[in-house]
Parts: sequence; structure tokens; C-alpha cells
Amino acid sequence: MNSIAAKLEKLVPGGYMPGSAPMTEPTAWGALALHTAGRQQAAAQAAAWLCDAQHYNGMVPATADGDAPGWTTSLATLAWREINAELYSEQLDRGIHWLLESKGKPNPQSEHVGHDTTLVGWSWAANTHSWLEPTAFATMALVAAGENQHPRTREAVRLMVDRLLPGGGANYGNTRILDQTLLPHLQPSSIVMWALAAQGSDDPRVERTLEYIEHELHRPTGCASMAYAIIALTAWNRRPADADKRILDAYNRLGTQDNCYKLSLLLLASNEQPLFAAQSLAARATSAGIA
Amino acid sequence: MSESSEHASPHKFDRRTLLTAGIAGAAALAGGPALYHWANPRGQVFVARNQRYDGSLVQTIQDGILATGMQPKALFGKRVLLKPNLVEPQRDRPQMTTHPAMIVAAAEVFRRWGASVSVGEAPGHVRDTEVALIESGVGEALLDGGVDFADLNYQQSAWRPNRGRRSKLRGFWLPESVAEADLVVSMPKMKTHHWVGVTCSMKNFYGVLPGIKYGWPKNVLHHNGIPETVADINASVPKSMAIVDGIECMEGDGPILGTAKQMGLVLIGPRLASVDATAARIMGLDPQKITYLQLATRNMGPLDDSMIDQRGENWQELVSPFQVLDKPHLQRLRIDRVGPEVS
Repeated sequence: MNSIAAKLEKLVPGGYMPGSAPMTEPTAWGALALHTAGRQQAAAQAAAWLCDAQHYNGMVPATADGDAPGWTTSLATLAWREINAELYSEQLDRGIHWLLESKGKPNPQSEHVGHDTTLVGWSWAANTHSWLEPTAFATMALVAAGENQHPRTREAVRLMVDRLLPGGGANYGNTRILDQTLLPHLQPSSIVMWALAAQGSDDPRVERTLEYIEHELHRPTGCASMAYAIIALTAWNRRPADADKRILDAYNRLGTQDNCYKLSLLLLASNEQPLFAAQSLAARATSAGIA
Repeated sequence: MSESSEHASPHKFDRRTLLTAGIAGAAALAGGPALYHWANPRGQVFVARNQRYDGSLVQTIQDGILATGMQPKALFGKRVLLKPNLVEPQRDRPQMTTHPAMIVAAAEVFRRWGASVSVGEAPGHVRDTEVALIESGVGEALLDGGVDFADLNYQQSAWRPNRGRRSKLRGFWLPESVAEADLVVSMPKMKTHHWVGVTCSMKNFYGVLPGIKYGWPKNVLHHNGIPETVADINASVPKSMAIVDGIECMEGDGPILGTAKQMGLVLIGPRLASVDATAARIMGLDPQKITYLQLATRNMGPLDDSMIDQRGENWQELVSPFQVLDKPHLQRLRIDRVGPEVS
């Protein structure tokens, strides 16, 4: 994995595609990945870029042009906290404040829609409905900030479980439309389970979702989806035995592509331990006194 | 399915048609498409039948483009962006997404005419675009065909004013591949849609807007009205045309969960509303009742069949009503009378 880290070191701050302008999500994952790989100087450089991108109100917008949306604020706070919470305390405070002010738009319950549309969560863009990935990222950021019992966090956990499909897995966040159950996807399923690892749930859909992720890993999939799946399963102490081989295969498929986003996710997935202490099943067990 | 139309049913256009259409197309691409369309109220739609994904799609697409008014010389050196529909691909539901063979064939036609061709898409429900390319088979086909792919969800974007003004949105973020294209070709799958009835070339342009700005799904658009924003996006993108994959279609609970319906059709036209109106009629749905078609600006083409010059096959002979969900907002879209228009 050293070769991934060495390559990534030259790419942060970076974008979603080779040669593209830096954006917040790839840079935040890059900062975290380099930090976990012990490449502190490059991680700090990426963290500083995130500081420059932050607006006065605390939002760290998704794109370098400074225009909203700000769902990526969660990722910036996760990176700052892991790298040096003390150094970035001011940015962290403003980021968490913005997250708590930011809300998905609830809708009246409708017979045509299966999920609970009254739960708030977080949206991709301002003044729109909440969806799974931004809600999962915000939940992780709040848990890392010690806000696990905050009402917004608790509601977000209810939202994520509510949006799981009956047979397991999740898509972007719809369950049933006009009496039809929708289709699951690996990436959002994995990100939600990563966020729920610190929470746990007796809901049978949680176990079904973990099984769905394990099953989907055996089919051809995208680099990002695979990385999130491995990260999620690791957080649930179910890391696939062949995880490292899958990561290396994906790295080799990238070839000469200097893709900051994908390399960051692959490097994060290479960690054999859960990524954030507060986000793991082990952390939940410890806090419940059953470790 | 029977053999392709080049053999079974020759396309019905003559030299005069081609000449007239060619002049019009040259004028349109030369710099005044909006003015030209405003001055010319008629639409042109080409329909080919008996088409197959392993058939002569290059010839069909070339014939259709020529028949509806584009002149190859006008495309030389131009940037052409093909925009398929890869909204939420699943390998066991190929009726959901534009078939790779259609995309590669269209690329071949425009390349022969000297255009620089790329394919771009911003899948609406799948944030991992690589998954969309794998599940749809499009990624492999483009690799084999040497065609570049632009991930519109994550590209740098440029702000463009909303030229439709049907919704409250003041403008749109358009990915650089879209903003800088000389021609954006909507390549949808012909499908039913559980909210708006039909999804074809106009609705397909939801997929030019970047998820990084609009989300997955592109909820900013939904909250501002689906019909209104469909019309607005179409009014705001650069010059466009449509090449519709109507070979294996989707009926029932489209655009994701519907069932396959074999039609064997390819529809082509320079004005998207007219193309979609013809597709709707073939599907047994009334274009005049489809809200986003009603909202389409005059530049996008007429809906009235008497104002559309039909090339190739007569659509009246191809009507095969698509199933739609048994919901009032969809059932009301059916063509009221069954007469000479609907065989």
C-alpha cells in the first residue's frame, strides 16, 4: 500500500478525476488516507486546503468555485479532527455549527412514498429533501465530535434505518415509490452501514444489508463502491479475508490514472482496523461495557 | 425480430427532401438555430422500424440525421457530445438504459463527418459513475470503440442563464463538456415515467446537470417542478438534437422498474419536443397532455402532428400502446380517441 500512499501524496489537494481541479470530498478523503498512512506533511497540506475552502459560516462547499452545496462540510470536519483536533479547533467548531444548522427538507407523509418523509436528516443541496449519504456523513461527523446523543444524531440514525430496503441494502434513499420497492446499490448501502457501525440496531434490515454488501463484493463493481464496502465491513468486524487483494486489483486497474478520489478511498480501505475509533462496532461494544 | 429496415423497409425520403433538409440544417448549425427555429414553425422527425442492436445502426442513424436536416459539412471540426440515459443501470434490466450499440453507432456517424465526439452522462441515482458504466455495458463499449467518456457529475461547471423561465431557477450549472459542445445529442431510451408519463429526449437532459451541484437524485430540480425544469434545461443547453433508442423499450413502472417492450424503433430529429411528441403517440399517449411538452418553448418544436414533417416510417402504423401504472395522473395521458391516428 506504500505505492498508493506515495502516489497519493503528490495528488492532494485533488479532484474526482485525473487532472481535475481540487474539490472538497477527494481532498478530505485524501487528507484522512495520508494521515492514516503516516504521511503527515501531505495530510496537513490537504487539511490546510480545506481550511481555505471553508466559508465564514462554517460550510465547506463541495466545489472549488465556492458555491454551495455544503454536504462536504462533514468530511472536512472528520479530516481535521483525525489529523489535529486542537490545531483545527476553530474550523471544527464552525463546521459542526453549520452542520447542526443545516437541515433536510421534510415532506408531508404521502401514500406514494415508502419512507418516513418527516424525518429531517441532511440533504445534498439546500432546501431539498434528506438523502442517505449526506445524512450518514453528517452523523459520522457529529459522533466524532462527541454529539452521539444530540437529537439530530438520534433522528439521523432513525432515518438511516428507516431508509433500508426490506430485503437489505439501500439506494440513494428511497424505499418504495407507487407500491414498488426500489433497487439497492453498493455505495450508499456501505456508507450507511459505516455510519451505523457505532450505533447498531436490532432491525433485521441491518444484518440483511451487511449480507447484501458481502454478496455484492463478489460482482464487478466500481472502485469507490468497493472501497466503501470494505471500509463498512471492517467497521462491523466483518472485513473480507481477501480485502487487500481486491484493493490491489483495483489499484492495478487504475493503471496510470492519477485519481486522487479513488486512490484516497483505496488507501483508506487498506486499513485493517476501523477508520474512526468512534465509528466502529468495537467502540459501541466498549461504550456498552461489553467489550 | 425481423431484419433491419435497410433491407425490409427502405427509408422513405427523396432527394428533394434531403436537399431541403440539408439547407435547413446547415443554417441551424451555422449560428442561428434559435432564430431559424423561431422562423420555421415545423418539426422534422425520422422513424425507422425493424431495428436491432446487432443490425446496421450506423446506416440508420446516418440516414435519419440526413433526412431531418443536418448537413455533414456543418459538423466538420465540431464538438459533439452524445448524452445517453444511464440513470440507474442494472445489468439484468437493459430496458432501462440506452444500449451501448446505439451510442457507438452514433459516435461512428459523427466521426465520419469530421466531428470530435465524446459521450457524457451524469447518472441521476448512482454516485459511483464507474458502476453505471459497468452495469450498462457502456464503459466497455466505449473503450472498445475508442470513445472518450466525460463524467458530467463531477466536471467543472459553468453558470448559464435559464432561458426557459418556466421554473424559478435563475440559471443552471452546466458541465464544461456540455457548455462547450457545439451539438449535444440526447440519446434516451423510450420509456414510460411514473410521474410525468413519458421519458424520452427532453427528460433525458436532466442527466446533463452535475450531481455535485444538484445531488443524487437531482432534488433541486424536483423541488422546482419536474415539468418546468425539464423545459428550462432544454431551453438552456447548447444546440441539441435527438437520437432515440426505441428498440427495446420500457413500459409500466418506468423509468427504473418497468418491463421490457420490444419496438424495434429508432427516432431522430433536430427538435426534441417534436421527437418526444411522436414517441408519445407511438406509445399511445397524448403529447398535448404531457406537461413538460406543453411547456416546451417554440424553439423545441411543435407537438401538433400536422406541424411535424415525418420522415421514414409513418408513426401511425407503429402505434403499440405502452402499459402505464393504474394511477389517475398517468391514465389521463392516454390518447382519447382510437381512430385513424391509432391503428
